[in-house]
Amino acid sequence: MARIPRIGIGGPVGSGKSMLIERVVPLLAARGYSVSIISNDVISKEDADRMRENLATRKGLLPENLVIGLATGGCPHTAVREDPSMNISVIEELEERHPELDLVIIESGGDNITTTFSPRLADYFIYIIDVAGGDKYPRKGGLGIESCDLLVINKTDLAPLVGASLETMRDDAQRIRGERPFVFVNCMTDEGVGAVAGRIIHDVLFDSEEA
Amino acid sequence: MLRITSISGNIHDGGVCDGDSEHLCISRGDLEKSRLRRETDGGTDIGLSLDPGTVLRDGDVLAGGKKPIIVRQTAEMVISVRLDDPEMRVVAGHVIGNHHRPVAVEKGVIYFPVQADSELEVFEKLFAGIGATLSIEEMVFTPHRRARAHEH
Repeated sequence: MARIPRIGIGGPVGSGKSMLIERVVPLLAARGYSVSIISNDVISKEDADRMRENLATRKGLLPENLVIGLATGGCPHTAVREDPSMNISVIEELEERHPELDLVIIESGGDNITTTFSPRLADYFIYIIDVAGGDKYPRKGGLGIESCDLLVINKTDLAPLVGASLETMRDDAQRIRGERPFVFVNCMTDEGVGAVAGRIIHDVLFDSEEA
Repeated sequence: MLRITSISGNIHDGGVCDGDSEHLCISRGDLEKSRLRRETDGGTDIGLSLDPGTVLRDGDVLAGGKKPIIVRQTAEMVISVRLDDPEMRVVAGHVIGNHHRPVAVEKGVIYFPVQADSELEVFEKLFAGIGATLSIEEMVFTPHRRARAHEH
């Protein structure tokens, strides 16, 4: 049974994890990739239900049963790092039943800045923060922001409304991330979302970014 | 892209030497990835697709390209703890483990990774009164196999 490439998406509550998935999956589908989504949350399955409705039921980009909600209980990071067995068993079932899949996206429940994914669970880790949290966010660092494969900074349109400087965030992200990439996005307008899809296609799917 | 699916040896085990080769310089965290796309220092675009669960080691040799590619683990920031009293060394181990850090011990010195030098002040407070000398260093950190706690 072949291992399907997996990416993990983590970030604080409300930073736009589900929204990023909703915006990226259509771009991946347009390139012909088959994707499954596993959305972790503490007690609710609301995000999974919304993504299923928008991506599967309305747009038909993937079968409804390939958007899976997992209510993990406890601290969200435990289900993606300390004991990822619940997620792994769901993915192994997917690998058995859907060998046609190219990618599994695992969304963590909203968590703190030290969130990371176990490399047993995810091959690639995207950490998302948002501008509305303040422009101090990148320079404050934390394991998620520093060690992720791709840092996504969402809601750029809110910068003037919350007095955040995108320039400061860019400088700090560059300094703290070194050569590791980061990208500004606005999931409401799709600005920057193509760059996220491009990274996934290049770094995880081992394909060329250009169609 | 050069796809690599297996490790063909390790320069530390002998048999292969770091002669005319390229290097894949990656962090300790990336060593645990079985799927990874990076460029070597020679500019070769490689895609690692190893058996799930494979953990790379510094010195691993990846074959398949024009030259052998040697995996090199990058140095990272650590705190070193120098402490002679054996009873207090147990206490130090307890403190470090309680903060979910992996540990390495080399020639009697205890090492654990940190993310910022500001953590030195934190750990100096945590170690207060046990006679330990702490300092920030850069090293290629390899955790002891019994002390590879996830860290956060």
